[in-house]
Formats: sequence, C-alpha cells, structure tokens
Amino acid sequence: MARYGFVIDLKRCYGCYSCQVACKAANHTPQGIDWAWCRPSETGKFPTALRQMIPLVCQQCADPACLTVCPTGATTQDENGIVHVDADICMGCKYCIMACPYGARQTVPEWNTYFPDAEGDLDPYEAYAKKEWEKKNGYGMASKCDFCHDRVQAGRQPACVQSCPAKARHFGDLEDPESEVSILIRRERGFQLNPEFGADPACWYLPPR
Amino acid sequence: MELKAQTKWRWGLATYLFLSGLGAGAYAAGAYLDHLGEAWQTLSNIGIILGFPCVAVAGLFKLKQLGRPQAAWRAWMRPQTSWISRGSIMLMGFLGVSFIHLILVIAGADEGLRHVFGVIGGIFGVALMLYSGVLLAAARPIAFWSTAMLPLLFMLSSVLTGLMAIILIALITGEPFQGVVSNLERFIAVLLVLKTIVVIFYLQSTHRVPESRASAKLVLTGSVAPLFWFGVALLGLAIPLGLGFLDLIRAYGAEPKLVAALAAICGIAGGFFLRQVVLAAGIPAPLRAGRFEVALPII
Repeated sequence: MARYGFVIDLKRCYGCYSCQVACKAANHTPQGIDWAWCRPSETGKFPTALRQMIPLVCQQCADPACLTVCPTGATTQDENGIVHVDADICMGCKYCIMACPYGARQTVPEWNTYFPDAEGDLDPYEAYAKKEWEKKNGYGMASKCDFCHDRVQAGRQPACVQSCPAKARHFGDLEDPESEVSILIRRERGFQLNPEFGADPACWYLPPR
Repeated sequence: MELKAQTKWRWGLATYLFLSGLGAGAYAAGAYLDHLGEAWQTLSNIGIILGFPCVAVAGLFKLKQLGRPQAAWRAWMRPQTSWISRGSIMLMGFLGVSFIHLILVIAGADEGLRHVFGVIGGIFGVALMLYSGVLLAAARPIAFWSTAMLPLLFMLSSVLTGLMAIILIALITGEPFQGVVSNLERFIAVLLVLKTIVVIFYLQSTHRVPESRASAKLVLTGSVAPLFWFGVALLGLAIPLGLGFLDLIRAYGAEPKLVAALAAICGIAGGFFLRQVVLAAGIPAPLRAGRFEVALPII
C-alpha cells in the first residue's frame, strides 16, 4: 500500500508563500488556520549569516502523537498514512495540539473574517469559503492538513505542490523505491524534522546547500 | 529566535487541574484520617465531603475549556493510549465512589462500610492526583512539562491544598486549633518543605534543552515571573511556611486560628497559581531542519 509523502527542497524554496495561499484557497481555511505555511529561519552571524525559508505541512507521521493522545477517536490514519480528523467526533480538548511536535494542528473558535473593519455581511468570496469550510470542518475542533486528500484521490497533486513556482515540493509514494520522492531522498540525502521525537514523518527535506 | 509559550491551555484548564487535585487530595486525606480514630473524625468527614463537589466543579471547568463540549461524552473512548481518556474514567470513577461515600458519612453509616469506600475512593483519588501531572508530561514537545517531576509536584500540591482546605473548613466550623488541627499543621509544614525542594529541583532540571530553559527563564524573570514569585513562592510556600513552621506570630500572641486560616488560604491560592504557571510557561520545541530552527507559531 502506498505511503504518501512530501519531499521539500530547501535549496529551491525562496519564500514566495504561494503554497500557503494555494492551500488556503483550495481548503478554504479561516484566518488563524494555515495548513501549509512557510517560516523564515536565520542562523550564524555576519559575515556568515544564513537565511532559509522552511515550508511546512502536517508531517503525516507514521507514529503520530496526535493519534495516540486523542481521547475520542476523532483522529484516524488511513492506509496511505494520511492522518484525518473527524469533525463530528472531535471534542476540542486540544491535547493533539500540545502533543504535535510540528505545530501542524490548529483550532479556531469561530470564523474570523479577514476584513473586520468592513461593514455588513461577509463578501461573497469569504462567504463561499466559510460555507465550504463548514462542510467538512468546524469550529473549536482541531484541524490539519490532509495532503489535499480529495485532490489526490482524483489523481491530482496537493495544492501546495502544484502551486510551487520553484518546484520545491514533490509528492509521491515513499514505499515505492523508484518514485520521484524516494529517489530524491536517497540521492540528495533527505532528512526529517525533529527526528528525536520518533514520529517518522512522511515529509522529508533536502539540505539547503 | 523567540520561542513562544502555548496559549490554548490556560485558566480554564488550570482551574480544572487545581480543583480536581484539591478535591482528590482532601478526599484521600479524609479517607485515611477515617482510620485514625475518633479524634480525627471531624477532619476526616470534612475531607470526604469536600471530595465530590470539588471534583464535580472541576469537571465543569474542563467541559468549559473544550472547543466542542457536546462531544465530551466520547472522552473515554481510547483509554488504551490517551491520558485524557484514562483521566475521564478516573474522574467518573472517583465521582461515583466519592458521592456514595459522602452519603454514607452524612447518614452516619457503619465504619466498616465507610472504610471500604474510603479505600476504593482513595485509590481513585491518588490516581486523579497523579494523572494531572502525567497528562502534561505526555506532551513530549513541551520539555517543561515532559518530566517525571511534574506528576510528583502536582501530587504533592494536591495533597497540600486538600489538607489546607480541610484545616480551613475545620477552623471556620469551630474546630479547636489545639489538638488534631495543630498536629495536622505540623505535617503540612513538612510537606511544604518537601514541595519547596521539589519546586527547586523541578526548575533546576530544565537546563536540558533550550525550550525548557526558555520556560524556566519565563517563569523566573519573564512574563510569568510575577505569577510565580507572588503566587507560588510567596503565597504558596513562604507565607504558609513562615506562619506555620516558624511560629513567629504565635510568639507575639496572635490568635492561632486566624494565623492557621491565613496560612491555609495562601497555600490553597499558591496551589492554583502553580498550575497556571506551569501551563503558561509551556514552550514547545522549535522545528529543527539541520542547522536551522523555527519557533512554532503561537499554539
């Protein structure tokens, strides 16, 4: 059975945030929730200071801490390794948010508009996004990236992978040694984030230089 | 890189942890004192009677803290892996046994029957006291919580606040200070010294990783410092120790009941602030990508 995973090439990411915006557009996430996000990081001192963008998604760990701590069984993992949250079952205890080493889980108590100073109801685009968000998700519950499960089932790439102009993101089957992601990990010496937590994430990163 | 503390678990959960610990501690102490004879009966009854309402109210605070309380009935679905599930089972077990025990005490039931419920309820009570620390300790990314010292600290604090609540109620209801109350107070003084040592060792043990060092810095000199120094150190430890252990005020002729009551109130408040300090200083580990690190956004 395929285990879906990401390979993110840190040499290529230059921090355009296309992935973050594409994810928000595809999944209609409200303000305060970013399933795909990018963060700058700096290290060293002048004249050898370095700056690097770190793109992030839910790591879809093989041994997810969020699934272990979930008391209601709302968190499940499918046969492809994708971790899902059932909006009807989650009670919003936020234990998974505390247990996740990667900050992949977020929650909001209500829909926060991006235009709080605007008068009247939500504009049509935000109203549409709110309606779409409420179809599969809710408020007060933990939500997370699911590797654009519906798009992948339809044979497409996750939105953040498709939108990346630098082709820094790759998606594929980690169990297939001949897949693009597996070859990249072997050839470019891919690594995982925070391996000390033993979660075995499905997202691998290629060194920046 | 500025590491940020979590913000999702704050006053609501701190109140739940505090009240459940106080209730369980008072009940467990009361159940034990029930075996010590007639002289301790009043204190024992107070402890047993305190258990159920405190833990029940704690449960309400826990419900309030949930994002979707309508799904809370599912909380005990996964005891095989989830500490919240296990805690929910312990909570319900404790509430059931302590309620029956409360009725038995009020009805003046037979000593043997009271003792049976006391033992069962005591086991649930100890489990509930330990569980609150274990729950936090299981969140591995937050190194400030992920230590075996935290369940010990919370258990000690629960026993202390439970005993102090018993003393406070006893003094308010007219129980004389000399005798069992003053004996209990001496025991509390020993526990306070132990708690002080545990707090010092707990903070000292945070040198392991940068995020727990950042938590300790937040507690000792940062934004959580006023809560820690005033709430935990002064109210929770220094004042009860100073008033009870050093006996200074009594030496100048002050009313011992007032002094003991003040020490109990301060100690109980200190127990609450301890939970809030621990929660407020929980900083998760940064994401580490080779030589680069990224602080998690506020969670």
